[in-house]
Amino acid sequence: MLRTVRLRLLVRGISEVDVKTQRVADIYTGWFVALVGVFVLISSTWISEAGIHRLSPRTFPHVVGFLLVACGIGLALKSWSLRTEGPTIAWPDGVGVRTITITLICVAGYIALMDLLGLPLATFAYLAIATWYLNRSRWLMALMIGLITGAVSYYLFIRVLGLSFPAGVLFE
Amino acid sequence: MGFSFSYLMQGFATALSVQNLFWALVGCFIGTLVGVLPGIGPVSGIAILLPLTTVLPPTSAIIMMAAIYYGAMYGGSTTAIVVNIPGEASSVPTAIDGYEMAKQGRAGPALAISAISSFVAGTLSVIALTLFAPMLAEFAVVFGPPEYFALMFMGLSLVISLSGRALLKGVISMALGLAAALIGQDPLTGAARLTFGTVTLNAGVDFISVIVGLFAISEVMINVEQQITAISEMKISNWMPTWADIKQCGWTMIRCTGVGFFLGLLPGCAPSVTTFVAYDLEKRLSKHPERFGKGAIEGVAAPEGANNATSTAGFVPLFSFGLPTAPSMAVMLGGLMMYGLQPGPMLFAQNPQFVWAVIASMYIGNVMLLILNLPLVGMWAKIVNIPFYVLGPMIVFCAVIGTYSIRFQAFDVWVMLLFGVIGYLMRKLGFPVAPMVLASVLAQMLETSLGQALLISQGSPLIFFTRPISAVFMALAFLSIGRGIWAQVRVKAPEVVIEDPD
Repeated sequence: MLRTVRLRLLVRGISEVDVKTQRVADIYTGWFVALVGVFVLISSTWISEAGIHRLSPRTFPHVVGFLLVACGIGLALKSWSLRTEGPTIAWPDGVGVRTITITLICVAGYIALMDLLGLPLATFAYLAIATWYLNRSRWLMALMIGLITGAVSYYLFIRVLGLSFPAGVLFE
Repeated sequence: MGFSFSYLMQGFATALSVQNLFWALVGCFIGTLVGVLPGIGPVSGIAILLPLTTVLPPTSAIIMMAAIYYGAMYGGSTTAIVVNIPGEASSVPTAIDGYEMAKQGRAGPALAISAISSFVAGTLSVIALTLFAPMLAEFAVVFGPPEYFALMFMGLSLVISLSGRALLKGVISMALGLAAALIGQDPLTGAARLTFGTVTLNAGVDFISVIVGLFAISEVMINVEQQITAISEMKISNWMPTWADIKQCGWTMIRCTGVGFFLGLLPGCAPSVTTFVAYDLEKRLSKHPERFGKGAIEGVAAPEGANNATSTAGFVPLFSFGLPTAPSMAVMLGGLMMYGLQPGPMLFAQNPQFVWAVIASMYIGNVMLLILNLPLVGMWAKIVNIPFYVLGPMIVFCAVIGTYSIRFQAFDVWVMLLFGVIGYLMRKLGFPVAPMVLASVLAQMLETSLGQALLISQGSPLIFFTRPISAVFMALAFLSIGRGIWAQVRVKAPEVVIEDPD
C-alpha cells in the first residue's frame, strides 16, 4: 500500500504546499508549465533571423511558448475553480524516495563511467551494484550477472557488430 | 509497368529456389534479432550487413535485406510488450496496451496477436504491392508540402483522443514534446534555437532518447518505488490468443492494413506516424474505447499491422520511382544501386525477374516470420516473470545501449535519463505521455512542410484550404480539435488521464 508524502515547496510566501490531491497538484503544475512557457518565449527572442524566409525560425518556438503559457494558466485556473479535490496522488514513501534516488545515482554513474571505463567495465560495475542493491542477499548472482553481461556487451556490440562503443582501457 | 501473373509466377520460381529460400530465412532470423536487440534498428542492421552481402547474387542479397527489414518490424514489438521499451517510435502505441497485457499475465497472447496481425497486414500489403504498385505510386506523387503539412497537423490533432479527459494536460505534453524537438538547428535556415550557446545542444534532442526515457526509465522508477518482485507474478498458462481474441481483431487487422499501406506510400510518412493513426482509429471505432490503454488486444493488433503494412508500402515508391520513403528504404536503395540496379520506372521493364522475385519472396518471408515467431512467443513472454532485481537493471542496460548507439554520444543517454524523470513525474501527476512522443516525432516534418508550403503560396496560409487533399485533412483535424474542446467544456472534473499510469 502506497502512502502519500508531503512535498514542501516555497511558492510566493506559502511555506508549505501539500500536493497530495490532483486538484492542488494541477494548480501548481499549471503555474510551473506557464513559467516554462515564458522561458521558451524569452529564449526564442535570442534566435537570429538569418536570411529571408516565409517561416521565421522564431515562429514555432513562439507558438510553443504561447501554448505552454496559455495551457499552463488554463490548467491552474480550471483546477482552482473546481469544487472536488480529485484522486489522491500516490507519492513514494521514505523508502521509495531513497530507492529511486539510489537507482538514479547508479544509472548516472553508469553513463558517466561509460566513456571513462568503457562499455564492458561500466556495464559490469552498474549491473553488479544495481542488482545487488535491489536484492542484497544475492551478491554472488549480482556479480555473475555483471560479469556475463559485461563480457557479452563487449563481444556482441564491440567485436561482432563493430559498433562504436568505448571499449575502455582494458580492451583498447 | 503493370501487373503480370506470369512474371509473378516466375518470381515465385526464383524465390523458391533452395538458395533464395535459405537467404530469406537467414534474413528473417537476423531481422527478428535486430528488432529484439537494443541498439540496432532495421536501418543500422541492413547497413551493417550490406557490405557482407556482396558475396551473394543480387537477387539473393536483396531478398535477404528485405527480409531483415520486415523481420525487424516483427521483432520490434517484443521489448515494447514485455518490458515497455519501444525501441522505435512506431512501437510506442504497441507498448501502451501490450505492456498492460503483459502485466495482466497476457504477454503470450499480446506477442502472438502482434505476430498474427503483422502477418495478415504484411501479406495483404504484398498483394496490394503486387496488384497496384504503379497506380498507387502515381497517387503518392500528388502529395506536395501543403498536403504533408495538413497530414502532420491532422496527426498532431490525435493528441485530443490520446489525452482522454485530460485535454489541457495532453496539449501541455504535446507542447513540451515540440519544445524538446525545437532544440538544435532550424531545419530550414540552420539557425540555432534554444541551445543557449552550447555546441552539444546544437545537434538537437533525438526522439529515441525521449521515447526510451519516457517509457523504459520511468517504468523502472515506478517499479523500484513500489518494490515489485516481477513485472507480472501471474503464472502464464495461455501462450496463444483465444479464438475470441483473434475474432475481435479481425476487422482491426484489415483496417490497419489499409491505413498503414496507403499512408506508407507517402514519402516521409513513416511507421511512427501510421501506427498512431491506426491506434487512434481503432480507439474511435471501438464500442469500448475506455479499454484502450488498459490492455485492449486491438490496441496491439492495430499498430503492429499498420507498422508492417507501411514497411511493405515503402517498396512501391522505391521500385516504381526510385524514391526512398524512409531511412531504411534509402539504405535499401543503396543496396540496389550497389548491384547496378537503378530503381524507377525502367526497373520493372528491364529487370522483371529481379523485381518479381523480390516481391514473391515477401509472401514467403511473411509465412517464414509467422512460423519463426509463434513458437518463440513462450520464450519472450517468460521475461515478465524474471525477478525485477535482475530485470530492472537489465532494462536500464538495454535502454542505455539503445540510446548511446543513436549517435554514440553520452549526451543522448543523459537526455534519456532526464526524460525518464520527466516521464515519472508526468505519470504521477496524471499527464499523458503519448502526445509528447507524437509531437517530438512529427515536429521537424511539420515545420519543414509548413515552411515549404508557405514558400509555394508566397506566405498565404489559404493554400492548405484550396487544395482538395490538404483541405480534407485540415477539416478532419479541426473537427477533431473542436470535438475535444467541446468535450472539455462540458466536463467539470479534475484532469485525469484515461490510461492509468500504474
